[in-house]
Amino acid sequence: MTLVLAFSIAVMFGAGAYLLLKHDLIRVVAGMVLISNAANLFIMSAGLSKGSAAIYPLPEDGSVSDPLVQAMTLTAIVISFGVSALLLSLVYRVYQTHRSVDIEQLAVAEEVETRQREEAVAEAEEEVPVAEEEEMALAERGANPVPVSVSESEDR
Amino acid sequence: MTIMSRHVARLLLAPTWMVALAVMIKGYADTGDGFSAGIIASLGVLLQYLVVGTRETTQLLPVRYAREAAQFGLLIALLVTFIPVLWGDPILTHYPRPGESVTHLGTLELLTAVLFDVGVFLLVLGVATGVIDLIARSRERRPT
Amino acid sequence: MLVLPLAICWFSAVGLAILDGRRPTVAWTAVGALTAAFASIIVLATDVISGQPQQVVAGGWLPGVGIVLRADALGILFAIVSLGVLLAALLFETLGGVRSRSFPSLVMFLATGLTGLFLTGDAFNFYVFFEISMIASYVLTAYGEERRQLRAAAIFAVVNLLGSVLFLIAIAALYHITGRLDLFGIGARITEVPSRTVVLSAALVFVAFSVKLGLFPFHFWLAAVYTGTRPAVAAILSGAVANIGAYGLLRFGAELLPRELGFSSPALLVIGSASILYGGLQALSRNTLPEVLAYSSIGQAGYILLALGIGEQVGYSAAVLFAIVNSLNKGLLFLSENLRGWLVGAAFAVGGFSVAGVPPAAGFVSKAALFRAGIAEGSVLLIILIFLGGALSFIYMLRSYQRRFWVPEAPPDGQPAAHGSSPLRVRAIVVALALLVIALGVWPEPLLALSRDAAAVLPPVSVESAR
Repeated sequence: MTLVLAFSIAVMFGAGAYLLLKHDLIRVVAGMVLISNAANLFIMSAGLSKGSAAIYPLPEDGSVSDPLVQAMTLTAIVISFGVSALLLSLVYRVYQTHRSVDIEQLAVAEEVETRQREEAVAEAEEEVPVAEEEEMALAERGANPVPVSVSESEDR
Repeated sequence: MTIMSRHVARLLLAPTWMVALAVMIKGYADTGDGFSAGIIASLGVLLQYLVVGTRETTQLLPVRYAREAAQFGLLIALLVTFIPVLWGDPILTHYPRPGESVTHLGTLELLTAVLFDVGVFLLVLGVATGVIDLIARSRERRPT
Repeated sequence: MLVLPLAICWFSAVGLAILDGRRPTVAWTAVGALTAAFASIIVLATDVISGQPQQVVAGGWLPGVGIVLRADALGILFAIVSLGVLLAALLFETLGGVRSRSFPSLVMFLATGLTGLFLTGDAFNFYVFFEISMIASYVLTAYGEERRQLRAAAIFAVVNLLGSVLFLIAIAALYHITGRLDLFGIGARITEVPSRTVVLSAALVFVAFSVKLGLFPFHFWLAAVYTGTRPAVAAILSGAVANIGAYGLLRFGAELLPRELGFSSPALLVIGSASILYGGLQALSRNTLPEVLAYSSIGQAGYILLALGIGEQVGYSAAVLFAIVNSLNKGLLFLSENLRGWLVGAAFAVGGFSVAGVPPAAGFVSKAALFRAGIAEGSVLLIILIFLGGALSFIYMLRSYQRRFWVPEAPPDGQPAAHGSSPLRVRAIVVALALLVIALGVWPEPLLALSRDAAAVLPPVSVESAR
């Protein structure tokens, strides 16, 4: 029994980890759910014992199974239920704003927006007269701001 | 969906909730608790969404009060948790204490533990229904 | 008394969830409730620090059977600092205008989770409160609901969930090994089992809390999240939520697994040093202020690990001190990120000095404590490293100060409305925080005594003898 449990935990965790590495955010969420359930199984296996349910009145022979792990698993299930709901709605919001749940495309969006912000900062700095040569040169090139600052941020 | 499945889905709602209620009020001394009851009840609601459709379900059931139900449930559970502190008992003390006599209402035993489970039930039902409703509505809106 | 702050936070969180947080009255109610919780936790702290740790067992069960709520000096100190930073951030956002209806309620839920986490004596209960605060902070990260915030929240949620699951597995393993869930019981039984059974759970605990803290090999999520969120949320994440990592490492590492902490001390020193150098160098090469602050957080987390790696009372108290001062610094710096005006400039400079460890800011006190710990350890390399890290942070803080306040018209993150001086009320919070940082630097005795008390909670097992 222990071996079966260990094997199924390993398979679930492995499958979850594999899904986590995918580009699709939905698959990442599915991977998260699998991994949380692997953890739940692990809690169950942490207190695996033979016996009847630990509900009063106790049986005559006195052997009851460990109720604590079951309580913990139940709590963990509740938590992973809430978290999965949250993750799904988060992914849904990401889809609404980006029209995509592909991590690569989100990373591209991140890069573009960062570049825009850095351009804004660079432009603001170019307006300031500064004595240092480096900054002077930058200000001279600033006559044609857009392409220059793009190459600037690529240098970084 | 066929007429058959619609009818079956409608008919299944009441028994589902009955089972949920039974699981909840017997939870303090038998298998079951507020959380599983809430999940069972919201499975019934989910079935309605799947079979009958979003618009009719929202007409049929008071889904729009899901948020209030969740908050009210959490409030009940928190009150049961913290009120014993007012007269010096530790939190989560349940009344009547072990060994004391229990008031019966038919076969139903009146315990604060049951009230706590009612709070948890409302919370889980409210949250689950709210999430189901949110996702169902977004599916309807998408083609536009 | 012990449950009062928890009850205040929890009830007000539920109550506020119904109301629209964008209305000023609702936001001010949240501020009032958080202030009440803060005050009650300070009252509790005076009881705990002058006398004995307090504890309550839920449901009137026997200790060891029921779930224990327990307040000792270590937990209460972290609770005070975290709630303080939360209060400052909430006040900041309330004065500036709350943008989302759930913000005040989420902050209260986060306060609930943090208070419960720092005041619990039960490993599984720790996990539950941990998740309450993490779920609240996932949603808070998305606060603002712009594209960047949503992306940041998605990254943050997935990475930290993985950390939480690892922590859960570690707790289950500890339960399997010791048969106990209360921290006291685990700590008492864990020494009876051979170390090789425990070492895997110890590693899991370490990874879980390092992810929270943003240490070097586990830092990859941190920069995107801290730069992506709004300043108040970044202050909350780095000033309050990151405390979970430091507290967890102290509580689980130093209290429950001192043996494993002892023989992993060289590894901790190496990871801590790597974190300091990596964070410092990355911060130096970044151009926007949020990025500099984010990488600086990675470096500062390294110091905490370094202090932990040194171990013993002197190292633990340095770790506590450093974590506390760091969360004040980061709260101050992130809040002043988008403000303008010379007062803010001065406050930012104080925060920068504090990060760099220059007197009279409080950062000097914590760096000095770390130095003392390094001398106690007797390692020249360590002292050089602490010095080098200080120098690095001085340079990058000075550079970002220049970029930020000597450039008159830099548009702060696409909000041209913030040009000129910001409203006085908003600036007052930042200035108050800066004054606090200076006050703690000029008169550090109470803080030093508190951190010593907190470290005294941890078992006085000498790390040297465990090696």
